[in-house]
Amino acid sequence: MAIAKAERLMNLALCLMNTRRPVSKRELRTSIEAYHEVTSDEAFNRMFERDKDDLRELGLVIDTVESVDGEFGYQARSDRNRLPDIALDPEEAAALALAAKVWQQARLAEAASGALQKLRAAGVPYEDANSALEPRIPAPEPAFEALMLATRERRAVAFDYRKANAAKPEPRQVEPWALECWRGHWYVAGHDRDRGAVRVFRLSRISGRVRVRGAFTAEVPDHVDVREAVARWAGDGATAATARIRLRRGSGYPLRARAVTTEPVDAEWDELEVPYGHGLDAWLAEFGPDVVVLAPEELRADVLDRLRAVAKG
Amino acid sequence: MSNAIDQTRRMLSLVTYLRERPGAKVSEVARAFGVTEAELIGDLNVLPLCGTSFRGGDLLDIDTDGERIWWHNPGTADDVAQPLRLAADEATALLVAARAVADLPGLREQDRQALQRAAAKLETAAGEAAGASGRLSVTFESEGSVFATVDRALTERRRLWMRYYSPARDALTEREVDPIRLFAVGHTYVEGWCRLSEDRRTFRLDRVAEIRLLDEPSDPPRIEPRDLSQGLVQPAGDDPEVVVEVGPGGRWVAEYYPHDSAEELPDGGLRITLRTPDPASLRRLALRLGRDGRITSPPDLVDEAREAAVRALAAYGE
Repeated sequence: MAIAKAERLMNLALCLMNTRRPVSKRELRTSIEAYHEVTSDEAFNRMFERDKDDLRELGLVIDTVESVDGEFGYQARSDRNRLPDIALDPEEAAALALAAKVWQQARLAEAASGALQKLRAAGVPYEDANSALEPRIPAPEPAFEALMLATRERRAVAFDYRKANAAKPEPRQVEPWALECWRGHWYVAGHDRDRGAVRVFRLSRISGRVRVRGAFTAEVPDHVDVREAVARWAGDGATAATARIRLRRGSGYPLRARAVTTEPVDAEWDELEVPYGHGLDAWLAEFGPDVVVLAPEELRADVLDRLRAVAKG
Repeated sequence: MSNAIDQTRRMLSLVTYLRERPGAKVSEVARAFGVTEAELIGDLNVLPLCGTSFRGGDLLDIDTDGERIWWHNPGTADDVAQPLRLAADEATALLVAARAVADLPGLREQDRQALQRAAAKLETAAGEAAGASGRLSVTFESEGSVFATVDRALTERRRLWMRYYSPARDALTEREVDPIRLFAVGHTYVEGWCRLSEDRRTFRLDRVAEIRLLDEPSDPPRIEPRDLSQGLVQPAGDDPEVVVEVGPGGRWVAEYYPHDSAEELPDGGLRITLRTPDPASLRRLALRLGRDGRITSPPDLVDEAREAAVRALAAYGE
């Protein structure tokens, strides 16, 4: 029966960590039972390469050294793999335990608990997360994992992207700088190679696979604020523009909460000045007969256009 | 095969952990590693098959009587039992989460400071592995003072009074709520027992217009917290069906509303079928869509939206 992968990976890790000199692939093949059982050289080489990658993904630093006779030797030196001393008091340990539970994305959820296991193995006290709060970070977008890795490794990517109001996706080539989760949605900001400019993309609008396209060519800015870019586009930022509307008394609480000024007009209506950003026309149309737009004229026209379309049925 | 990788990750830490704590209790180790006792025993069955040189015979000598775990390895295992550095994934996952939670408005100041201290120490210990964690960030939205009041109500087990905004009806209602828990999925919510509807309700904190702590003790019935793994909105099978037909400009509807089906239309639009306990709440959607789409069923809702638009136009003299 084939030996389980976890057992094989463990044996490789222990061999590489325990040795005081680089060991060759040949030595590893003869000393690890799971490799010994593989008869074809090609299958063994493939398996060995994959196993090394898996261990590196788990954080193991494996040095490759070429010996005088041209053979490669491998070693995970203890000084390069040791976690520096870290001392957390019980309060700090409990706070980290809470943080470790927030990921709903499988890969990062496993990584967070793996980090906690390493810390506890290193002597960080075990404390239960003790809080009434349960923050959760969702990442249901299929493109998330590939983009996270590309952003980390500074690799350009290609993907199909459908703009909010487009029927069909278009191919895009992007050098991803930063990922941000805002209001429960993930966005990536980076250099759009075809447009030669900074663009923000919403991950839920990426369809199909994310392909890796080599190293970055454009310079990465010191500070990338994805949220600011998204907020500016949504009109949430501090823009000076405002609109004047009439709002029926007792209705439209969120408009009132954002209003710059509110003045009563008569027994039924108030007049409000509200920030004017992208999407205000659609939002105001939602309130139907409880909102009348006074100014500016283009906003009034946009809202009227929406209402007329609905009135026609 | 991600399970094998996670198991390897865990077993490497187990080796370190067990060496420092000979005779450790199975129950305690399982808790510290966040696994069931059965999973831990599974790991303990594999570990004695692993060694620094299998064919040489120097295997790990770890055994358990089901209650305690014994470590018998001589000093030669030092190099394999040292605490291991964090992987890039591990450092990223923990640091991004710690920074996001530390920025939560309304988090108890004591907890925030502990988290910030822990994150700083973690960043130092992670070294290079922490380098890319700044490229990932998460912002939770929440109203600070509302959050603090709910948090206090939970700690002191007291009832809450609030004025809450319902977008479906565009109205504020006054409610008394026995809070059960706070959670954040993008926005921050409080789940509680609503004394007005005598039912479990979820309230989004940014829709709380006003909130007060009452003197009455909170006394919610014992209920299982909602399972959030399937998303926040989970329509029931017997909820009425609504059909929305949108053009290309209304495709976002499929992103925002959980739906049963979204069928492609020849013009690049979609026919979206969804279920909601309260179809009237979608009147807002109908008005918002304008020429980007329309609701085609149920007929009551279609009429209601049209009438609302006609009345709205009247105010502009049309």
